[in-house]
Amino acid sequence: MTTARVPAAAPSPSDLATELAVVVEPPFHVPRNPEELRLFLQAALTLEHLTIPPYLTAMYTLRPGTNRPAFYAVRAVVLEEMLHMTLVANLLNAVGGTPLVAHSRFVTGYPARLPYSRDRIPIALRHFGTEALRTFLHIERPEYVAEPPGHPSVADDEGWTSIGQFYATIRTGLVRLTEELGEKALFTGDPGRQIGPEHFYNSGGEVFRVSDLSSALTAFRVVTEQGEGVSRTIYNTDDLLFGEAREPAHYFRFDELLQERRYGPHDTPASGPTGPALDVDRAAVYPIDPEAKAAHYPPGGAVRQAADRFNEVYARLLCVLEDAFTKDPAALRAAVPTMLELRDLAERLYRNPHPDPEKRARGLYASATYEITDELLDRVRGLLAAPALGPGEAYGL
Amino acid sequence: MAPHRTTSPPSLPALPTPTPPSLPAVDGFVDVSVRLTGFDSFDLHATGMAALYLETALDQVGPEAFERFLGELDAAGGDPDRLEGETSRDIARAIAHLWYLGVWPQLARSVHSALGREKANAPFTASPEAYTEGLVWRTFHGHPAGAKAPGFGTWSEPPPGAPPVPRAAAPERPVEKPETKREGELEEEREGNTA
Amino acid sequence: MNAYPRPGGQPAGGHRAAPPHHTRRFDVIVVGAGLSGTLVAKRLGDQGWRVLVLEAGTGTLDTWPGHLDAMNTYYAAAAKVPNSPYRPNAAAPSPDVLDLAGLPEGGFRAHGYFVQNGALPYGSDYLRANGGTVMHWLGLTPRMHPEDFAVRRKFGYGRDWPLGYADLEGHYRAAERELGVAGDAQEQSEAIGLPFPEGYVYPMHRIPRSYLDDVVAAKLDGVPVRESADSPGTTLRVVTTPHARNSVPDARYDGGRGYRPAGAAGLPNYGERCVGNASCVPICPVQAKYNPLKTQATWDSRVTLVTRAVVSRVLADGTGRAMGVEYQAYDDPAAPVHTTHTAEADIVVLAAHAIENAKLLLVSRLAEHSGQVGRNLMDHPVLLTWGLMKHPVGPFRGPASTSGVESFRTGPARRRRAPFRIEIANWGWSWPAASPGSDVARLLGIPGDSGQPRGRGVFGKELRRRLGDGIGRQFSLQFELEQEAEGRNRVTVDPRHRDRLGNPRPVITYDLSDRLKRGMAAAKAVSDRVFGLLEAEDRTVYGPGPFSPGHFRFEGQDFTFNGAGHGAGTHIMGDSRDTSVVDHWQRCWDHPNLYAVGCGSMPSVGTSNPSLTMAALALRSSEQIHRDLTELHRPVTVRTGGGGGTDAASGHVPGPAPSPHSRPHQEVRP
Repeated sequence: MTTARVPAAAPSPSDLATELAVVVEPPFHVPRNPEELRLFLQAALTLEHLTIPPYLTAMYTLRPGTNRPAFYAVRAVVLEEMLHMTLVANLLNAVGGTPLVAHSRFVTGYPARLPYSRDRIPIALRHFGTEALRTFLHIERPEYVAEPPGHPSVADDEGWTSIGQFYATIRTGLVRLTEELGEKALFTGDPGRQIGPEHFYNSGGEVFRVSDLSSALTAFRVVTEQGEGVSRTIYNTDDLLFGEAREPAHYFRFDELLQERRYGPHDTPASGPTGPALDVDRAAVYPIDPEAKAAHYPPGGAVRQAADRFNEVYARLLCVLEDAFTKDPAALRAAVPTMLELRDLAERLYRNPHPDPEKRARGLYASATYEITDELLDRVRGLLAAPALGPGEAYGL
Repeated sequence: MAPHRTTSPPSLPALPTPTPPSLPAVDGFVDVSVRLTGFDSFDLHATGMAALYLETALDQVGPEAFERFLGELDAAGGDPDRLEGETSRDIARAIAHLWYLGVWPQLARSVHSALGREKANAPFTASPEAYTEGLVWRTFHGHPAGAKAPGFGTWSEPPPGAPPVPRAAAPERPVEKPETKREGELEEEREGNTA
Repeated sequence: MNAYPRPGGQPAGGHRAAPPHHTRRFDVIVVGAGLSGTLVAKRLGDQGWRVLVLEAGTGTLDTWPGHLDAMNTYYAAAAKVPNSPYRPNAAAPSPDVLDLAGLPEGGFRAHGYFVQNGALPYGSDYLRANGGTVMHWLGLTPRMHPEDFAVRRKFGYGRDWPLGYADLEGHYRAAERELGVAGDAQEQSEAIGLPFPEGYVYPMHRIPRSYLDDVVAAKLDGVPVRESADSPGTTLRVVTTPHARNSVPDARYDGGRGYRPAGAAGLPNYGERCVGNASCVPICPVQAKYNPLKTQATWDSRVTLVTRAVVSRVLADGTGRAMGVEYQAYDDPAAPVHTTHTAEADIVVLAAHAIENAKLLLVSRLAEHSGQVGRNLMDHPVLLTWGLMKHPVGPFRGPASTSGVESFRTGPARRRRAPFRIEIANWGWSWPAASPGSDVARLLGIPGDSGQPRGRGVFGKELRRRLGDGIGRQFSLQFELEQEAEGRNRVTVDPRHRDRLGNPRPVITYDLSDRLKRGMAAAKAVSDRVFGLLEAEDRTVYGPGPFSPGHFRFEGQDFTFNGAGHGAGTHIMGDSRDTSVVDHWQRCWDHPNLYAVGCGSMPSVGTSNPSLTMAALALRSSEQIHRDLTELHRPVTVRTGGGGGTDAASGHVPGPAPSPHSRPHQEVRP
């Protein structure tokens, strides 16, 4: 069973007509062998990525020069999600896996159904606002008591009930397998594949190499506690883990935006935020269609070209990440410039009125759709392989 | 609203109220601006500045002069090069300047007088974001200084249209044992100081 | 405090309170919270001393919302000059480069904070706000060359330092850690001849070179050029410049312990790499560039910072001991209201900028014995040359300069003319011609004066094409020349010229020597040759006019120079109390417990951007101040490992924390 200590808004009657894309979930049991562990970690990688496009969409639909507290709050969370994704890739590499990123199976498409949850919660690409914030609260909802499958309190046929439970399950599997096989037999990955702090920056905390049980458990703490908080407080563990400023966990940062009020130093999940008011202007956004697809934009038009271009650069980002996770960690240097290119392309789309006159009349704007196909990935891989991209100083590496 | 424990905050109004100039007026302004700037309407909308610039232009020259400018541009077949009236030509310059730099420029002194403007003829930046949305940076595939940063090391790549050049790899070795000559210099330095 | 440091919350580090006008006794008072003052406070606070830092300007920049306000002010500024992001403050005015205007027939007019009465204008500004002028520095951190410390002995001009490169080398390394320097020590050693300890690497790998650097290097590297027909050839080489800017950390640093870049002050997880905003001067949006706020965030709680506190006088007793300072506290920078207070300490450290330090000594009538206070004002006069390359070079990208040509900094030619360093400028004609704004106005037919007749102007696709083609090929070179110490270049005070709190405004008398002008002529000759090698179209023009206050004619040629913002030399250090203001610890000869730190102490400035050297000097002085304080407290001192002492009044035992990079008790000088 799950007992959410924090009241989360009930799933709202969906305004979405589209069928929700479904993320494939691993079987409901603790991973029993290294092969299953790798399957679970790949699923975790997919899950971490799933949340990033909705956050980016909320951030970049804010009108320029407005809503700075909201911008920085979402930005901080996005950066931590990117750190989580990288740490999960390090975990997967550490146990001899090969992260899969540049594949149509990795990108579910939106709107998707929130995995590892019994509720039918849609994860859509929405402009910043109440609906988006409610979605984020569902994603980051703290789950304090859900035990892994096999625990006496959990029925065998119950199925996944929360993301926290999913991670606790992987962690349990990892610890058990280390006990059964020994560290050396489990952590067989190539240390040369690990992403280190020299490759990755501006993240919520510092990325670190995973090589044994202890570093793996630290990685789990970061991934789960940044999002949902340290047991029954509103804070994450960055101050403990990285010597950084104490930050409320993601859930509470989004709750601050929704309630337009900050958590104060003595607030708890039960008290809610009672700190200073937070300036949020829900009108200062570009409203978008949460079900937009590039194909909805007239072929040949400037908006369609921009939307296609966005997806192409997004595909390039996935290829860069996969190269970094599977071949050369130094390839990650191209990730931030590519992300920043995506930011510019996305902002340009959101500021253009929707080309469909009816949607335009409703005040909707064009949007980035984060659509990936294998054909697109193949084409982008071809472009990346061509030497035309320049020699590229190794930036000191 | 209650300051806390609110589980259902006020829902988003169906749509935000549109900014003061009406959508069709902004569209018309963007069409004219395409002629002035050489950027297409997607690029102009992409700045997010169209409504602000229309407001700025109307406020600076007044609706009548602005209408006359539109009329004369129309009569010139939409080609700003064929605008002959100095007032309309100066308005064309100002609007193009605004799009390119985010700055409304000084009008010609004669035009300022002819319009009977009751405001200082001084240049100003329409808003902080207007500077960062200036079109001038796009003309050479750049980004505004201080905004839209392209990422670590991107300045090493050839810009579009530039040939690759040979690049000496960074040696990246730690400092080696100093040569005897350098040690000699250091010695001299020490001696010189204590002398 | 600091239980809740959120974006928008309280800044971290040190103790910030309402002015503690009731607690007036400290171990040390530091005047000025810029680079030097911040470093001195950091070291002394870490060693257990109670430090009061008085900053004349505001602390608005300390928080992230304050930083964002500065960003917006910069975006909206008509002229993006170094002080453009920072709000004017009538209570603690700052000079501005816009205070100078050239006259149509030559000459200049100055308004604003400085009163100028020299033959040529002193064209540099500074910033009076928490963090100081380093808030708008470019962030280049080249070391000075060993021969720069002995120009009189070696080349027969200027003044010598009472210490040498070898004395400062360890402090250079300490400063490189504190500021977080990215560079290539091996390249600096090979190309410039800088001595480093064997195996040394900078904290971070060098900042990637710009594409423009590579274009220039491809044509210049290895080519000999002559400054004049009878001079020997100098071989050109493009060399990467060290920066206090976050790059990729070098895992080999510090014996393999590596380095963690310090991000933005006020916003967590930001600024850990330079992302190429291309606005280092006047403001780094992500704070990847070092600024003193980063160090202040690590101040010990024994350091108290009071902003909006303008020190008006240093107080001394009849024996020459400094007792403390008198300062004016104001609340609203816009209101002509202040209250006057005094604060007392065992040691007073002036760290308020070369010109402000000199002003304070002059007003307080202290350190007068040598007659040198205010004299020997120096800068790096800058000659700009600019042109168009044959193909796009990607201007306005990356840090303002990533490489330079170092071949003219050293050698026997210094006997005849000023040496210079050439910076390859990555930002097109932004400095020489206010591009790209001026390019847009020119093509649209909009002249600088609204009364002038207007051109027809170019519109539409043609406008776009011509701008892209022209701006995309812009590049410029910046020649930074060494100015030698000259007694006639000086800061004085005159009771007739005062600011709003009644403090005297600096009166500046400034000129360039003939050897400096010969250096400019040589620089222009080298530029001509370089433009030829690059097959570039030279667009350099010098002449009188409103935007050329630094215009002059020399041997039949026109020149225009600019200031580099490197004010130095107003309380020069030396070997003798008869000829210099401070000793090699930057301690006033006449006042054993009064220090004046900063570029003002430098007897020569070489051709290196001076901040790194200034930081090294500040760290070196901190060691002596610590020893002085320990000495003062000796009667009740309990000696522990690295020094430290107890304070009889408070009875607390400071926990000494000797820095691994300082050599606390090593006297290099006799």
